[in-house]
Amino acid sequence: MTGAISGFLHELGGFIMFLHRVSTIARRTKGNLRAIYGQIVYVSYRSLSTVLFAGLFVGAILVIQFNSMLVQYDAQVLIGGLNTSAVVREVGPLIISFLLAGKIGAFTAAELGTMRVTEQIDAVQCLGTDPLQYLVVPRFVAIVISSVLLLMMGLVVSVVGAMIVASAACGVNPWEFMASIPQFTDGWTVFCGFFKSLIYGHIVAGVACYKGFTASGGARGVGKAVTQSAVYTNLYIVIANYIISDLLNAAYEVGKPVMERLF
Amino acid sequence: MSIRFDEVHKSFGPKKRILQGVSFEVKTGEILFILGRSGVGKSVTLKHIVGVLKPDRGAVWVDGQDVTKLDELEMADIRRKCGMVFQHPALLDSLTVYENVSFGLRTPQYTQSLQRPLTEAEIRKIVLEKLSLVQLPSKVLERYPTEISYGMQKRVSLARTIAPGPDYLLFDEPTTGLDPITTNAVNELIFRLSRELKVTSIVVSHDMNCALKIADRILVLEGGNILFLGDVQETVRTKEPLIREFLAETLELLTPEERSRYGLGEKGAKK
Repeated sequence: MTGAISGFLHELGGFIMFLHRVSTIARRTKGNLRAIYGQIVYVSYRSLSTVLFAGLFVGAILVIQFNSMLVQYDAQVLIGGLNTSAVVREVGPLIISFLLAGKIGAFTAAELGTMRVTEQIDAVQCLGTDPLQYLVVPRFVAIVISSVLLLMMGLVVSVVGAMIVASAACGVNPWEFMASIPQFTDGWTVFCGFFKSLIYGHIVAGVACYKGFTASGGARGVGKAVTQSAVYTNLYIVIANYIISDLLNAAYEVGKPVMERLF
Repeated sequence: MSIRFDEVHKSFGPKKRILQGVSFEVKTGEILFILGRSGVGKSVTLKHIVGVLKPDRGAVWVDGQDVTKLDELEMADIRRKCGMVFQHPALLDSLTVYENVSFGLRTPQYTQSLQRPLTEAEIRKIVLEKLSLVQLPSKVLERYPTEISYGMQKRVSLARTIAPGPDYLLFDEPTTGLDPITTNAVNELIFRLSRELKVTSIVVSHDMNCALKIADRILVLEGGNILFLGDVQETVRTKEPLIREFLAETLELLTPEERSRYGLGEKGAKK
């Protein structure tokens, strides 16, 4: 038990130190814009179809669930608002970030892990270049930006998917669907979705880069890094979701007069 | 200008004690071979010189500077002086052969040492020159590492290391996976760089045959300590059982001239 706790603390300490070094280098060097742009295109291109396809079904699933409840109260007219609010605020960022953890996160952990065990990272360092600056910072920044972009696109598509299913399977008019959205989905809801996406993007990027960069022990070590990257990312996202939801609700209550004016 | 290890200790966890107080010095222009069984800490020793690993205790001196106490910025200057050839080719997969070999020529440390950045034509000239030194044709320039053989990758890696003209060369099993002809060429190159350009070389290897041919001194690691350190003649005459085992096959293959150079009797004669 003591060993597990000390192992966890050691891991956590290493992770925090790693993030601190990456953010310091990113601020100091302002990043390599060309490398970051290349990584954004690469990451987004690889994940776009998966995210859009998944987003379409996330909205559709929720519509079916909401419909089975709302039909009992003859309140199907509210389905668009309820569905969009739930998708944008909670379910969308959560499910799509899980997908990104499996797609971008695992890929990055595997790529950096392979570079580590085949001594490519050591070689970069020995040639007088900081591997964090050259290899990690562009990937980290690109994953954060791509995650937010992909999550936002995924959310839009999930609303479209929900509207299609609501119309085809539940008999809800698309105009009614659209009209009910503002009743439950205000600027604050969209802000919550965006903020969560930003945090989840940091988690996907941070864990994947850290696990890959610190991999050791040959092919087995790379496999371990990839698995841990996917598992820890999902775990941290769930925990972060709980904390952020709680904090955002508290922030809304405290600043209600200001929030109501703003949103 | 030398490399010195002072009582260096290194462990990986409580049970894996690799180096236990290793001390030695490598002089300018010397070729030192480090031999030993697998997992004895030969590569670990090399990685301490370029700061890829930090010792638990002890000091590693390069050009009069204790590298264990340098920050990353100061370490970058030491790394510019030290070229390291890794056990794996360690080429960046996303870059072509040309981009890999020219990698070290574009770093801020290198351009600062020249007080100006190199032009693309100058870089190309250096890259072609180094590729020809390792016997690679210019047609591989635009290929990616995955498109060439393992042996070629090793040679590209060697070309990349010598391109910025380091003062020290650290070789981690440079000839593993190479054919005998290329192995001889690489050994000859190490010898030439040492004799003509006074480059100091440390070579980690299992190949006693290469060691006898080009080493000035041979260091044998065993059990976290130095088992033996001496010149080639002392090495072939030592009665140390582990070294005799390393030598067994090699001595059989020595020519009569080589045997007499090392002060050994005729083959088959009583030792």
